[in-house]
Amino acid sequence: MAERTVKFEVKRQSGPDAAVVWDKFELPYHPGMNVISSLREIAANPTTVDGKATTPIAYDSNCLEEVCGSCAMVINGKARMACSALIDNLEQPVKLQPLTKFPIVRDLMVDRSVLFENLKRVKAWVPLDGTYDLGSGPRILPQVQEENYPLSRCISCTICMEVCPQFNESTGFVGAATIAQVKLFNQHPTGKVLKEERLHALMGDGGIQECGYAQNCVQACPKQLPLTRAISDIGRDVIIQSVKDLFTT
Amino acid sequence: MATAVSPAVTPPTRGVQPLQAGEGHSFLLRRLHSLSGIVPIGAFLVEHFVSNFEALKGPVAYAQQVRFLNALPFVRVLEWTFIFLPLLYHAIYGLYIWFRGKSNVVYYPWAGNWMYVAQRWTGMIAFIYIGQHVWRQRFSGVSLPEHPGAAFHKVQMELSNPWILAFYAIAIIATCWHFAYGVWLFSAKWGITPGDKARRKMGYVCAALGIALVAIGLSSLYAFVGPWYKNAPADLTPAQITNGESTSSAPSNEPPASK
Ligand code: SF4
Ligand code: FES
Repeated sequence: MAERTVKFEVKRQSGPDAAVVWDKFELPYHPGMNVISSLREIAANPTTVDGKATTPIAYDSNCLEEVCGSCAMVINGKARMACSALIDNLEQPVKLQPLTKFPIVRDLMVDRSVLFENLKRVKAWVPLDGTYDLGSGPRILPQVQEENYPLSRCISCTICMEVCPQFNESTGFVGAATIAQVKLFNQHPTGKVLKEERLHALMGDGGIQECGYAQNCVQACPKQLPLTRAISDIGRDVIIQSVKDLFTT
Repeated sequence: MATAVSPAVTPPTRGVQPLQAGEGHSFLLRRLHSLSGIVPIGAFLVEHFVSNFEALKGPVAYAQQVRFLNALPFVRVLEWTFIFLPLLYHAIYGLYIWFRGKSNVVYYPWAGNWMYVAQRWTGMIAFIYIGQHVWRQRFSGVSLPEHPGAAFHKVQMELSNPWILAFYAIAIIATCWHFAYGVWLFSAKWGITPGDKARRKMGYVCAALGIALVAIGLSSLYAFVGPWYKNAPADLTPAQITNGESTSSAPSNEPPASK
Protein backbone atom coordinates (compact mmCIF):
# COMPACT_ATOMS: atom_id res chain seq x y z
CA MET A 1 0.00 0.00 0.00
CA ALA A 2 1.29 3.40 -0.94
CA GLU A 3 2.36 5.54 1.96
CA ARG A 4 0.06 8.50 2.60
CA THR A 5 1.79 11.78 1.77
CA VAL A 6 1.19 15.51 1.92
CA LYS A 7 1.97 17.78 -1.03
CA PHE A 8 3.16 21.36 -0.73
CA GLU A 9 3.65 24.19 -3.17
CA VAL A 10 5.70 27.05 -1.87
CA LYS A 11 6.17 30.48 -3.42
CA ARG A 12 9.83 31.37 -3.03
CA GLN A 13 12.05 34.31 -3.63
CA SER A 14 15.71 34.27 -2.59
CA GLY A 15 15.72 38.00 -1.84
CA PRO A 16 13.56 41.14 -2.05
CA ASP A 17 14.22 41.61 -5.77
CA ALA A 18 14.86 38.01 -6.80
CA ALA A 19 12.68 36.12 -9.27
CA VAL A 20 9.67 34.21 -7.96
CA VAL A 21 9.73 30.42 -8.18
CA TRP A 22 7.24 27.82 -6.98
CA ASP A 23 8.85 24.77 -5.39
CA LYS A 24 6.93 21.54 -4.83
CA PHE A 25 7.55 19.26 -1.89
CA GLU A 26 6.09 16.02 -0.65
CA LEU A 27 6.26 14.71 2.91
CA PRO A 28 5.09 11.47 4.53
CA TYR A 29 1.85 12.09 6.42
CA HIS A 30 1.69 11.76 10.17
CA PRO A 31 -1.12 12.73 12.47
CA GLY A 32 -1.20 16.22 13.99
CA MET A 33 1.24 17.81 11.57
CA ASN A 34 0.84 21.51 10.87
CA VAL A 35 2.35 23.95 8.40
CA ILE A 36 5.29 24.96 10.60
CA SER A 37 6.17 21.37 11.52
CA SER A 38 6.08 20.58 7.80
CA LEU A 39 8.38 23.47 6.98
CA ARG A 40 10.78 22.15 9.59
CA GLU A 41 10.69 18.70 8.06
CA ILE A 42 11.39 20.20 4.66
CA ALA A 43 14.33 22.08 6.18
CA ALA A 44 15.73 18.77 7.46
CA ASN A 45 15.82 17.49 3.90
CA PRO A 46 15.28 20.31 1.44
CA THR A 47 14.62 18.34 -1.73
CA THR A 48 11.81 19.14 -4.15
CA VAL A 49 9.51 16.48 -5.60
CA ASP A 50 11.64 16.25 -8.72
CA GLY A 51 14.63 15.36 -6.55
CA LYS A 52 16.33 18.73 -6.88
CA ALA A 53 18.29 19.81 -3.78
CA THR A 54 17.34 23.30 -2.66
CA THR A 55 17.79 25.63 0.30
CA PRO A 56 15.57 25.33 3.37
CA ILE A 57 12.52 27.60 3.15
CA ALA A 58 12.92 30.82 5.10
CA TYR A 59 9.97 31.67 7.35
CA ASP A 60 9.24 33.30 10.69
CA SER A 61 8.00 31.41 13.70
CA ASN A 62 8.67 31.23 17.37
CA CYS A 63 6.09 30.15 19.92
CA LEU A 64 4.36 27.40 17.89
CA GLU A 65 1.18 28.00 19.88
CA GLU A 66 -0.37 31.05 18.22
CA VAL A 67 0.73 33.63 20.75
CA CYS A 68 3.81 35.26 19.26
CA GLY A 69 2.28 36.39 15.99
CA SER A 70 5.33 35.75 13.84
CA CYS A 71 4.19 32.91 11.58
CA ALA A 72 1.42 34.64 9.58
CA MET A 73 1.41 33.63 5.91
CA VAL A 74 -1.02 33.03 3.09
CA ILE A 75 -2.11 29.39 3.23
CA ASN A 76 -4.32 28.16 0.40
CA GLY A 77 -5.17 31.73 -0.46
CA LYS A 78 -6.04 32.90 3.06
CA ALA A 79 -3.87 34.76 5.53
CA ARG A 80 -3.57 32.80 8.76
CA MET A 81 -1.15 31.58 11.39
CA ALA A 82 0.95 28.70 10.10
CA CYS A 83 1.58 27.07 13.49
CA SER A 84 -2.14 26.54 14.10
CA ALA A 85 -2.89 25.48 10.52
CA LEU A 86 -3.35 21.74 10.85
CA ILE A 87 -2.65 19.76 7.70
CA ASP A 88 -5.70 17.60 8.43
CA ASN A 89 -7.90 20.63 7.86
CA LEU A 90 -6.21 21.82 4.67
CA GLU A 91 -6.88 21.02 1.07
CA GLN A 92 -3.94 19.58 -0.86
CA PRO A 93 -1.61 20.56 -2.33
CA VAL A 94 -1.06 23.00 0.52
CA LYS A 95 -0.11 26.29 -1.11
CA LEU A 96 2.14 28.54 0.94
CA GLN A 97 2.78 32.17 0.03
CA PRO A 98 4.23 35.09 1.96
CA LEU A 99 1.88 37.86 3.12
CA THR A 100 1.19 40.05 0.09
CA LYS A 101 1.11 43.53 1.59
CA PHE A 102 4.55 43.60 3.18
CA PRO A 103 8.02 43.80 1.66
CA ILE A 104 9.52 40.35 1.08
CA VAL A 105 12.69 39.49 2.93
CA ARG A 106 13.06 35.97 1.60
CA ASP A 107 10.67 33.09 0.78
CA LEU A 108 7.87 33.27 3.36
CA MET A 109 9.55 35.95 5.47
CA VAL A 110 8.24 39.50 5.22
CA ASP A 111 9.12 42.79 6.87
CA ARG A 112 6.21 43.79 9.08
CA SER A 113 7.92 46.66 10.85
CA VAL A 114 5.21 49.06 9.64
CA LEU A 115 2.98 47.77 12.45
CA PHE A 116 5.62 48.45 15.08
CA GLU A 117 6.16 51.89 13.56
CA ASN A 118 2.41 52.60 13.65
CA LEU A 119 2.20 51.53 17.30
CA LYS A 120 4.99 53.97 18.07
CA ARG A 121 3.26 56.76 16.20
CA VAL A 122 0.09 56.40 18.24
CA LYS A 123 2.09 56.00 21.47
CA ALA A 124 0.61 52.62 22.26
CA TRP A 125 2.06 52.39 25.74
CA VAL A 126 1.51 53.49 29.33
CA PRO A 127 3.93 56.34 30.00
CA LEU A 128 5.84 55.39 33.15
CA ASP A 129 9.58 55.78 33.36
CA GLY A 130 10.00 53.89 36.62
CA THR A 131 12.46 56.38 38.12
CA TYR A 132 10.49 56.74 41.32
CA ASP A 133 7.89 54.81 43.24
CA LEU A 134 4.38 55.89 42.29
CA GLY A 135 2.71 53.65 44.81
CA SER A 136 0.05 51.19 43.76
CA GLY A 137 -1.59 51.84 40.40
CA PRO A 138 -5.09 53.18 39.99
CA ARG A 139 -7.98 50.76 40.28
CA ILE A 140 -9.37 49.38 37.06
CA LEU A 141 -13.05 48.52 37.26
CA PRO A 142 -13.89 44.92 36.42
CA GLN A 143 -16.15 46.10 33.60
CA VAL A 144 -13.22 47.93 32.03
CA GLN A 145 -10.97 44.91 32.56
CA GLU A 146 -13.49 42.79 30.71
CA GLU A 147 -13.41 45.20 27.82
CA ASN A 148 -9.65 45.58 27.81
CA TYR A 149 -8.61 41.97 28.07
CA PRO A 150 -9.72 40.96 24.57
CA LEU A 151 -7.89 43.97 23.15
CA SER A 152 -4.71 43.03 24.99
CA ARG A 153 -4.68 39.64 23.23
CA CYS A 154 -3.35 41.15 19.98
CA ILE A 155 -0.25 39.26 18.85
CA SER A 156 0.79 41.79 16.16
CA CYS A 157 0.51 39.19 13.45
CA THR A 158 -0.66 41.84 10.87
CA ILE A 159 -3.32 39.52 9.44
CA CYS A 160 -5.98 42.20 9.98
CA MET A 161 -3.89 44.51 7.79
CA GLU A 162 -3.15 41.88 5.16
CA VAL A 163 -6.86 41.15 4.59
CA CYS A 164 -7.97 44.80 4.63
CA PRO A 165 -8.78 46.25 1.17
CA GLN A 166 -7.90 49.70 2.48
CA PHE A 167 -4.44 48.72 3.77
CA ASN A 168 -2.24 49.41 0.76
CA GLU A 169 0.43 51.73 -0.54
CA SER A 170 -1.93 54.39 -1.82
CA THR A 171 -3.90 54.88 1.40
CA GLY A 172 -1.12 54.17 3.90
CA PHE A 173 -3.93 53.07 6.24
CA VAL A 174 -2.78 52.40 9.77
CA GLY A 175 -4.81 49.17 10.07
CA ALA A 176 -7.15 47.70 12.67
CA ALA A 177 -4.55 46.41 15.14
CA THR A 178 -3.16 49.87 15.89
CA ILE A 179 -6.63 51.35 16.32
CA ALA A 180 -7.51 48.56 18.76
CA GLN A 181 -4.37 49.32 20.77
CA VAL A 182 -5.33 53.01 20.88
CA LYS A 183 -8.59 51.96 22.47
CA LEU A 184 -6.79 49.69 24.94
CA PHE A 185 -4.35 52.36 26.09
CA ASN A 186 -6.92 55.16 26.10
CA GLN A 187 -8.97 53.09 28.53
CA HIS A 188 -6.06 52.52 30.86
CA PRO A 189 -6.26 54.90 33.86
CA THR A 190 -2.62 55.91 33.48
CA GLY A 191 -2.34 55.36 29.74
CA LYS A 192 -5.16 57.78 29.05
CA VAL A 193 -2.92 60.74 29.83
CA LEU A 194 -1.87 60.42 26.17
CA LYS A 195 -5.42 60.01 24.89
CA GLU A 196 -5.58 63.31 22.99
CA GLU A 197 -2.21 62.71 21.37
CA ARG A 198 -3.31 59.28 20.19
CA LEU A 199 -6.56 60.63 18.77
CA HIS A 200 -4.69 63.43 17.01
CA ALA A 201 -2.28 60.91 15.54
CA LEU A 202 -5.20 58.89 14.15
CA MET A 203 -6.54 62.00 12.38
CA GLY A 204 -3.47 62.12 10.18
CA ASP A 205 -3.23 60.83 6.63
CA GLY A 206 -3.64 57.06 6.69
CA GLY A 207 -5.60 57.42 9.93
CA ILE A 208 -8.90 55.95 11.06
CA GLN A 209 -10.85 57.73 8.31
CA GLU A 210 -9.40 55.34 5.73
CA CYS A 211 -11.41 52.46 7.19
CA GLY A 212 -14.00 51.32 4.64
CA TYR A 213 -15.70 48.99 7.11
CA ALA A 214 -15.35 45.89 4.94
CA GLN A 215 -14.96 44.07 8.29
CA ASN A 216 -12.42 41.56 7.00
CA CYS A 217 -10.17 42.30 9.97
CA VAL A 218 -12.60 40.98 12.52
CA GLN A 219 -13.30 37.88 10.40
CA ALA A 220 -9.64 37.01 9.97
CA CYS A 221 -8.10 37.97 13.33
CA PRO A 222 -6.75 34.74 14.87
CA LYS A 223 -7.21 36.13 18.38
CA GLN A 224 -10.80 37.31 17.82
CA LEU A 225 -10.17 40.91 18.78
CA PRO A 226 -13.35 43.03 18.67
CA LEU A 227 -11.79 45.15 15.95
CA THR A 228 -14.90 46.63 14.33
CA ARG A 229 -16.11 47.67 17.75
CA ALA A 230 -12.76 49.34 18.51
CA ILE A 231 -12.81 51.18 15.17
CA SER A 232 -16.34 52.40 15.85
CA ASP A 233 -15.54 53.56 19.39
CA ILE A 234 -12.30 55.25 18.41
CA GLY A 235 -14.01 56.70 15.32
CA ARG A 236 -16.41 58.48 17.65
CA ASP A 237 -13.64 59.63 19.99
CA VAL A 238 -11.64 61.04 17.08
CA ILE A 239 -14.65 62.96 15.76
CA ILE A 240 -15.47 64.36 19.19
CA GLN A 241 -11.83 65.36 19.59
CA SER A 242 -11.81 67.10 16.20
CA VAL A 243 -14.95 69.07 17.11
CA LYS A 244 -13.38 70.00 20.45
CA ASP A 245 -10.26 71.16 18.61
CA LEU A 246 -12.41 73.34 16.39
CA PHE A 247 -13.61 75.35 19.39
CA THR A 248 -10.65 75.22 21.73
CA THR A 249 -7.51 75.57 19.64
CA MET B 1 7.17 63.09 30.62
CA ALA B 2 10.20 61.56 29.00
CA THR B 3 8.41 58.42 27.92
CA ALA B 4 5.71 60.36 26.13
CA VAL B 5 8.15 61.14 23.34
CA SER B 6 8.18 58.84 20.33
CA PRO B 7 11.25 56.68 19.92
CA ALA B 8 13.41 57.37 16.89
CA VAL B 9 11.43 57.00 13.68
CA THR B 10 12.76 54.49 11.18
CA PRO B 11 10.12 53.99 8.52
CA PRO B 12 10.36 50.90 6.34
CA THR B 13 11.81 51.81 2.97
CA ARG B 14 9.32 49.77 0.95
CA GLY B 15 5.71 48.72 1.21
CA VAL B 16 2.86 50.47 2.98
CA GLN B 17 4.19 53.49 4.80
CA PRO B 18 3.33 54.13 8.44
CA LEU B 19 0.64 56.50 9.70
CA GLN B 20 1.32 60.17 9.03
CA ALA B 21 0.39 61.00 12.61
CA GLY B 22 -1.52 64.28 12.79
CA GLU B 23 -0.59 65.36 9.25
CA GLY B 24 -2.67 66.10 6.16
CA HIS B 25 -6.32 66.89 5.47
CA SER B 26 -7.71 63.51 4.48
CA PHE B 27 -9.54 63.17 7.80
CA LEU B 28 -11.62 66.26 7.15
CA LEU B 29 -12.22 65.43 3.48
CA ARG B 30 -13.18 61.84 4.19
CA ARG B 31 -15.50 62.69 7.05
CA LEU B 32 -17.08 65.41 4.91
CA HIS B 33 -17.66 62.79 2.23
CA SER B 34 -19.32 60.50 4.77
CA LEU B 35 -21.48 63.28 6.23
CA SER B 36 -22.47 64.75 2.86
CA GLY B 37 -23.97 61.38 1.92
CA ILE B 38 -26.42 61.69 4.83
CA VAL B 39 -27.03 65.45 4.82
CA PRO B 40 -27.70 67.06 2.49
CA ILE B 41 -27.64 64.35 -0.21
CA GLY B 42 -29.50 61.59 1.64
CA ALA B 43 -32.03 64.06 2.99
CA PHE B 44 -32.61 65.37 -0.52
CA LEU B 45 -32.95 61.84 -1.86
CA VAL B 46 -35.76 61.15 0.59
CA GLU B 47 -37.43 64.48 -0.25
CA HIS B 48 -37.10 63.76 -3.97
CA PHE B 49 -38.67 60.32 -3.64
CA VAL B 50 -41.52 61.66 -1.53
CA SER B 51 -42.11 64.51 -4.02
CA ASN B 52 -42.12 62.16 -6.96
CA PHE B 53 -44.63 59.97 -5.18
CA GLU B 54 -47.10 62.79 -5.95
CA ALA B 55 -47.02 61.54 -9.54
CA LEU B 56 -49.36 58.78 -8.41
CA LYS B 57 -52.01 61.47 -7.94
CA GLY B 58 -51.66 62.60 -11.52
CA PRO B 59 -50.18 65.41 -13.63
CA VAL B 60 -51.89 68.22 -11.71
CA ALA B 61 -50.75 67.14 -8.27
CA TYR B 62 -47.27 66.54 -9.70
CA ALA B 63 -47.21 70.02 -11.21
CA GLN B 64 -48.33 71.51 -7.90
CA GLN B 65 -45.43 69.77 -6.15
CA VAL B 66 -42.92 71.01 -8.74
CA ARG B 67 -44.30 74.52 -8.47
CA PHE B 68 -44.20 74.43 -4.66
CA LEU B 69 -40.54 73.35 -4.62
CA ASN B 70 -39.53 75.95 -7.17
CA ALA B 71 -41.28 78.65 -5.17
CA LEU B 72 -39.09 78.07 -2.09
CA PRO B 73 -37.13 81.17 -1.12
CA PHE B 74 -33.59 81.21 -2.56
CA VAL B 75 -34.44 78.03 -4.41
CA ARG B 76 -31.57 78.33 -6.91
CA VAL B 77 -29.08 78.94 -4.10
CA LEU B 78 -30.52 76.00 -2.16
CA GLU B 79 -30.31 73.84 -5.25
CA TRP B 80 -26.63 74.53 -5.78
CA THR B 81 -25.42 74.52 -2.18
CA PHE B 82 -27.48 71.60 -0.93
CA ILE B 83 -27.81 69.43 -4.00
CA PHE B 84 -25.45 69.93 -6.93
CA LEU B 85 -22.22 70.86 -5.19
CA PRO B 86 -22.46 68.23 -2.41
CA LEU B 87 -23.40 65.62 -5.03
CA LEU B 88 -20.41 66.49 -7.16
CA TYR B 89 -18.10 66.41 -4.15
CA HIS B 90 -19.50 63.11 -2.90
CA ALA B 91 -19.24 61.53 -6.35
CA ILE B 92 -15.74 62.70 -7.22
CA TYR B 93 -14.24 62.05 -3.80
CA GLY B 94 -16.07 58.72 -3.80
CA LEU B 95 -14.34 57.71 -7.02
CA TYR B 96 -11.03 58.74 -5.49
CA ILE B 97 -11.77 56.48 -2.50
CA TRP B 98 -12.69 53.63 -4.82
CA PHE B 99 -9.50 53.85 -6.85
CA ARG B 100 -7.34 53.79 -3.74
CA GLY B 101 -8.94 50.64 -2.30
CA LYS B 102 -7.69 47.23 -3.40
CA SER B 103 -10.66 44.90 -3.31
CA ASN B 104 -9.89 41.30 -2.35
CA VAL B 105 -13.38 39.83 -2.27
CA VAL B 106 -12.20 37.02 -4.56
CA TYR B 107 -9.95 35.73 -1.79
CA TYR B 108 -12.09 36.74 1.17
CA PRO B 109 -15.71 36.39 0.03
CA TRP B 110 -17.29 37.56 3.27
CA ALA B 111 -20.54 39.51 3.62
CA GLY B 112 -18.98 42.80 4.74
CA ASN B 113 -16.40 42.56 1.99
CA TRP B 114 -19.14 42.08 -0.63
CA MET B 115 -20.98 45.08 0.74
CA TYR B 116 -17.75 47.09 0.48
CA VAL B 117 -17.59 46.26 -3.23
CA ALA B 118 -21.34 46.78 -3.73
CA GLN B 119 -21.12 50.22 -2.13
CA ARG B 120 -18.62 51.23 -4.81
CA TRP B 121 -20.55 49.81 -7.78
CA THR B 122 -23.92 51.13 -6.64
CA GLY B 123 -22.30 54.52 -6.14
CA MET B 124 -20.97 54.38 -9.68
CA ILE B 125 -24.37 53.47 -11.13
CA ALA B 126 -25.99 56.24 -9.10
CA PHE B 127 -23.38 58.75 -10.31
CA ILE B 128 -23.87 57.93 -14.00
CA TYR B 129 -27.63 57.88 -13.62
CA ILE B 130 -27.85 61.12 -11.66
CA GLY B 131 -25.58 62.82 -14.19
CA GLN B 132 -27.86 62.00 -17.09
CA HIS B 133 -31.03 62.52 -15.02
CA VAL B 134 -30.02 66.03 -13.94
CA TRP B 135 -28.90 66.91 -17.44
CA ARG B 136 -31.98 65.57 -19.23
CA GLN B 137 -34.61 66.66 -16.70
CA ARG B 138 -33.20 69.81 -15.18
CA PHE B 139 -30.85 71.43 -17.70
CA SER B 140 -32.16 70.44 -21.12
CA GLY B 141 -35.56 70.38 -22.80
CA VAL B 142 -38.48 72.33 -21.29
CA SER B 143 -37.27 74.21 -18.23
CA LEU B 144 -39.42 72.86 -15.40
CA PRO B 145 -38.84 75.67 -12.89
CA GLU B 146 -40.59 78.00 -15.37
CA HIS B 147 -43.07 75.39 -16.62
CA PRO B 148 -44.03 73.16 -13.68
CA GLY B 149 -47.09 72.11 -15.65
CA ALA B 150 -44.89 70.30 -18.16
CA ALA B 151 -43.19 68.12 -15.56
CA PHE B 152 -45.37 65.03 -15.84
CA HIS B 153 -45.29 65.01 -19.62
CA LYS B 154 -41.53 65.49 -19.72
CA VAL B 155 -40.87 62.52 -17.45
CA GLN B 156 -43.47 60.43 -19.26
CA MET B 157 -41.79 61.09 -22.62
CA GLU B 158 -38.43 60.13 -21.14
CA LEU B 159 -39.77 56.88 -19.71
CA SER B 160 -41.55 55.91 -22.92
CA ASN B 161 -38.22 54.45 -24.04
CA PRO B 162 -38.04 50.98 -22.45
CA TRP B 163 -34.25 51.17 -22.15
CA ILE B 164 -34.47 54.40 -20.21
CA LEU B 165 -37.23 52.91 -18.07
CA ALA B 166 -35.05 49.92 -17.23
CA PHE B 167 -32.14 52.23 -16.50
CA TYR B 168 -34.33 54.26 -14.12
CA ALA B 169 -35.49 51.12 -12.31
CA ILE B 170 -31.94 49.79 -11.90
CA ALA B 171 -30.67 53.18 -10.81
CA ILE B 172 -33.44 53.55 -8.22
CA ILE B 173 -32.49 50.22 -6.69
CA ALA B 174 -28.75 50.98 -6.79
CA THR B 175 -29.19 54.44 -5.31
CA CYS B 176 -31.43 53.24 -2.48
CA TRP B 177 -28.96 50.44 -1.74
CA HIS B 178 -26.10 52.91 -1.67
CA PHE B 179 -28.00 55.25 0.63
CA ALA B 180 -29.33 52.57 2.98
CA TYR B 181 -25.94 50.90 3.40
CA GLY B 182 -24.40 54.36 3.59
CA VAL B 183 -26.54 55.12 6.64
CA TRP B 184 -25.40 51.84 8.18
CA LEU B 185 -21.75 52.65 7.43
CA PHE B 186 -22.16 56.13 8.79
CA SER B 187 -23.50 54.89 12.12
CA ALA B 188 -20.74 52.30 12.34
CA LYS B 189 -17.89 54.67 11.48
CA TRP B 190 -19.06 57.60 13.55
CA GLY B 191 -19.46 55.39 16.61
CA ILE B 192 -23.26 55.57 16.79
CA THR B 193 -23.55 51.76 16.65
CA PRO B 194 -20.28 50.39 18.10
CA GLY B 195 -21.64 47.09 19.42
CA ASP B 196 -22.23 44.02 17.28
CA LYS B 197 -25.86 43.85 18.35
CA ALA B 198 -26.45 47.52 17.70
CA ARG B 199 -24.95 47.15 14.23
CA ARG B 200 -27.11 44.13 13.49
CA LYS B 201 -30.27 46.00 14.55
CA MET B 202 -29.19 48.99 12.52
CA GLY B 203 -28.81 46.59 9.61
CA TYR B 204 -32.50 45.70 9.84
CA VAL B 205 -33.47 49.36 10.12
CA CYS B 206 -31.41 50.27 7.06
CA ALA B 207 -32.72 47.31 5.07
CA ALA B 208 -36.28 48.44 5.85
CA LEU B 209 -35.38 52.00 4.86
CA GLY B 210 -33.89 50.83 1.59
CA ILE B 211 -36.82 48.59 0.72
CA ALA B 212 -39.32 51.34 1.54
CA LEU B 213 -37.48 53.81 -0.68
CA VAL B 214 -37.27 51.32 -3.54
CA ALA B 215 -41.01 50.67 -3.20
CA ILE B 216 -41.75 54.41 -3.29
CA GLY B 217 -39.42 54.95 -6.22
CA LEU B 218 -40.69 52.09 -8.35
CA SER B 219 -44.34 52.91 -7.74
CA SER B 220 -43.68 56.51 -8.79
CA LEU B 221 -42.18 55.14 -12.01
CA TYR B 222 -45.34 53.14 -12.54
CA ALA B 223 -47.45 56.31 -12.33
CA PHE B 224 -45.76 57.54 -15.52
CA VAL B 225 -45.87 54.34 -17.54
CA GLY B 226 -48.96 52.59 -16.17
CA PRO B 227 -52.48 52.93 -17.59
CA TRP B 228 -53.70 55.74 -15.30
CA TYR B 229 -52.32 58.88 -16.90
CA LYS B 230 -51.61 57.92 -20.47
CA ASN B 231 -50.91 60.87 -22.78
CA ALA B 232 -50.61 63.52 -20.10
CA PRO B 233 -50.96 67.08 -21.44
CA ALA B 234 -47.70 68.65 -22.68
CA ASP B 235 -48.17 71.61 -20.36
CA LEU B 236 -50.66 72.96 -17.85
CA THR B 237 -51.44 76.65 -17.43
CA PRO B 238 -50.87 78.20 -13.98
CA ALA B 239 -54.65 78.40 -13.60
CA GLN B 240 -55.05 74.71 -14.35
CA ILE B 241 -52.41 73.85 -11.77
CA THR B 242 -54.06 76.08 -9.17
CA ASN B 243 -57.61 74.95 -9.84
CA GLY B 244 -56.60 71.35 -10.14
CA GLU B 245 -58.22 70.71 -13.54
CA SER B 246 -56.52 68.89 -16.33
CA THR B 247 -57.04 69.27 -20.07
CA SER B 248 -56.25 65.60 -20.46
CA SER B 249 -58.77 63.88 -22.70
CA ALA B 250 -60.64 62.18 -19.86
CA PRO B 251 -58.37 59.45 -18.45
CA SER B 252 -59.61 56.03 -19.43
CA ASN B 253 -59.18 54.42 -16.02
CA GLU B 254 -59.82 56.33 -12.86
CA PRO B 255 -56.67 56.09 -10.71
CA PRO B 256 -57.23 54.69 -7.24
CA ALA B 257 -55.22 57.53 -5.71
CA SER B 258 -57.28 60.45 -7.05
CA LYS B 259 -60.24 61.27 -4.87
S1 SF4 C 1 -5.69 42.56 15.79
FE1 SF4 C 1 -5.76 40.33 15.40
S2 SF4 C 1 -5.22 40.14 13.24
FE2 SF4 C 1 -4.60 42.19 13.86
S3 SF4 C 1 -2.46 42.02 14.46
FE3 SF4 C 1 -3.66 41.75 16.33
S4 SF4 C 1 -4.00 39.54 16.52
FE4 SF4 C 1 -3.31 39.91 14.42
S1 FES D 1 4.77 30.57 15.82
FE1 FES D 1 3.99 32.00 17.25
S2 FES D 1 2.05 32.40 16.39
FE2 FES D 1 2.75 30.83 15.12
